[in-house]
This record gives sequence, structure tokens and C-alpha cells, in this order.
Amino acid sequence: MSTLEESAAAPAAQNVALWDIFTAFVRISVMSFGGSTAAWAYRAVVEERKWMDNDAFVAGMTLSQVMPGANPVNVSLYVGQRLRGPLGALVGAIGMILPALVVVLVLAVLYTRLSGYPLTHFLLLGIAAAGVGATFSMGAKVAVRVERKLLRYVFAMVAFVTVGVLHWPTVPVVLVLVPLSIICAAMEN
Amino acid sequence: MANVLLRIVLLFAPLSALSFGGGQTIIADVQHQSVSVYHWLSGQEFADLFAISRVSPGPTTLISALIGWHLEGFTGAIVATLAMYIPSSVVFVVVTLFWHKSEGTRWRRAIERGLAPVAVGLIFAGAVAVMESMHATTLAWATTAIAACVVYFTKLNPYILMSAVALIYVAVFYVPL
Repeated sequence: MSTLEESAAAPAAQNVALWDIFTAFVRISVMSFGGSTAAWAYRAVVEERKWMDNDAFVAGMTLSQVMPGANPVNVSLYVGQRLRGPLGALVGAIGMILPALVVVLVLAVLYTRLSGYPLTHFLLLGIAAAGVGATFSMGAKVAVRVERKLLRYVFAMVAFVTVGVLHWPTVPVVLVLVPLSIICAAMEN
Repeated sequence: MANVLLRIVLLFAPLSALSFGGGQTIIADVQHQSVSVYHWLSGQEFADLFAISRVSPGPTTLISALIGWHLEGFTGAIVATLAMYIPSSVVFVVVTLFWHKSEGTRWRRAIERGLAPVAVGLIFAGAVAVMESMHATTLAWATTAIAACVVYFTKLNPYILMSAVALIYVAVFYVPL
């Protein structure tokens, strides 16, 4: 590896403690209602702790969505591995899965009792809606960092419309769009 | 018991490795296998467990833990969770090993620049999909909009945000407007 590459990868050498990776993902896990894991992870990892820059996180998030596995778990693996290698990935994933596992089992035990109350459903809907708000916020933050070029906007719109509006499956859409988008980005230089 | 645990592994481990695009892509398979093929649960029981996994934080595929719990209690839940996450995680870590080593290279920059706009589209698509799946009301959309602004413009602790939303919903529920 050249010196240039090493210096570019230097932030990885900040040697984050495994315990810090674990506790960060425990916090993310317990508030990831309404599919908001990536949003809270973005805030914790990119904005607050600065473990990774915007572009590296966003790329990892896309990999997490396309590759096999639950997106939240893959995001924790990605961040953990970037910071401390496979061991970091393991610790991140345990921090992500364990609290959620406890919550889901507790809810399952209480479910028959709680589901009788209309308030339960109403309340969970509200919390999930707030979680979606976090996702929209992250989407906006990532969007304003995208290079201001027409083609970038076109790719973003096509991805949104095909998956979000037309409900096409994510994987084939990504497998077509991403190579085209990368080729366009590479040719502009 | 060992027989059932083995079947739990044989159901979830292959689906894990094949769950391209995330957990939601294999839920239909999990339902088919556990309800129609193995008769582990009735359709209604599956629907209940799915509802619980949906409202819980974390991945929806934790329904595997609930099915394991339903069959073999705590051991079943642990075995199902491991079967659900180990195969996909090993694949993910191995595949991204090379990616992490390439940080700072020119081709990696090009890939990141190309991925970014697609990611933006997918983030918003995911948010809209969740709102659709929970049949969001006007109140839910208002909650989403306000939460989005709070998270975007402030550094408010997410726990405070979530607690405030919960309190407001309890108030709205009990205080007729």
C-alpha cells in the first residue's frame, strides 16, 4: 500500500475501543423504531463521533441494503469492521441485535395482554412515525451533500420512483443503476 | 427438541444467506415454511408475531427469534437468531473486507460518488414504504414531518424525542379534541 493510501485511510487508525462500538450500537438499536436504524447510526457515527465520513457511510449503507442480511445488522457490521476489523464487526452486530432481541421477546410475552388496548397500537404507530422522520432527516442531509450535477439528481429520482413509488425490488434496480451511476461519475473526471 | 432446533437452523440459515435486499424479502418464505410446510404456527399466530417484530426496534427478521421462542422457548429463540444472522453476516464481512482496505483509492472514490445519489433515492423510498405499510394517518404524517425537522435542525437526544412523541400520543388518545 502506498503512503498516500495509508494517509487517506488514517482515520481508521484512531483505534476506537470495542466497548465504544458496542455501546454506540446498543443505543442505536433500542431507538431504531420505524426502520430508522441507518438514520440514528448516521447521526452517531458520522455526525457525533466522526468515526467515518459521509461518503463512506452512505456507500456502506447501500452495500448493506443490497447484500444478504438485515439492513440494521449489516450497517453495524460495516461500521464495526471499518473501525476494528472483523472483531469490531462482531461487537457492533451484537450491540445491534441483543437489545432488539430482548425488546422483541418482552413484547411477545406482553403482547396478548397489551394488544387488547387500542392505546398500544396508537402509541407504537406514533413512535414508528417519529422514526421515519429521522430517516427523512438523514435523507435530506445526505441529499444536500450529493454533487450538484444533473445526472446525480436523475439517478436519485429514478431510484426513488422505481423502488418507492412503483415498488420494484431493490436488488435488480440497484444492480442496474449503480454501475451506470459509477460510470457516469468516473467519466466526468 | 434437538430435531426441532435443527429444523429451525435449516429453515433460517439458507434464507439468511439468500436475503439479498434485506430481511423483508424473505418474510414470505418464512411464513410459507413455518405455517404451511412445518405447521409450527397458525396463520393468525404468524400474523401476530409479524406485528410484534414490526413494531419492535431493530430488524424485522427478529421474527425468527419469536418463532424459535414459540417452538423451544429461550433456546429456540437464541438458535433461531444465530441461524438468521450468522450466514448473512459472514458473507457481508468477507465481501466488504476488500472494500475497507481500498479506502482512499481513486476507484473507490468513483464508486462512492456513484453510489451516493442512488442511496438518496433508496433512503426516501424506504421511508415512504414504512409510512405506507403502517397506513399512516394525517397525525402520523405530521409526527413524521415534525420529527424530521427536529432531527435535521437540532441535536436533541433521540430518547427525549421519542418520549415526547409517546407522551403527546397518550395525551391525544385520552384528551378528545
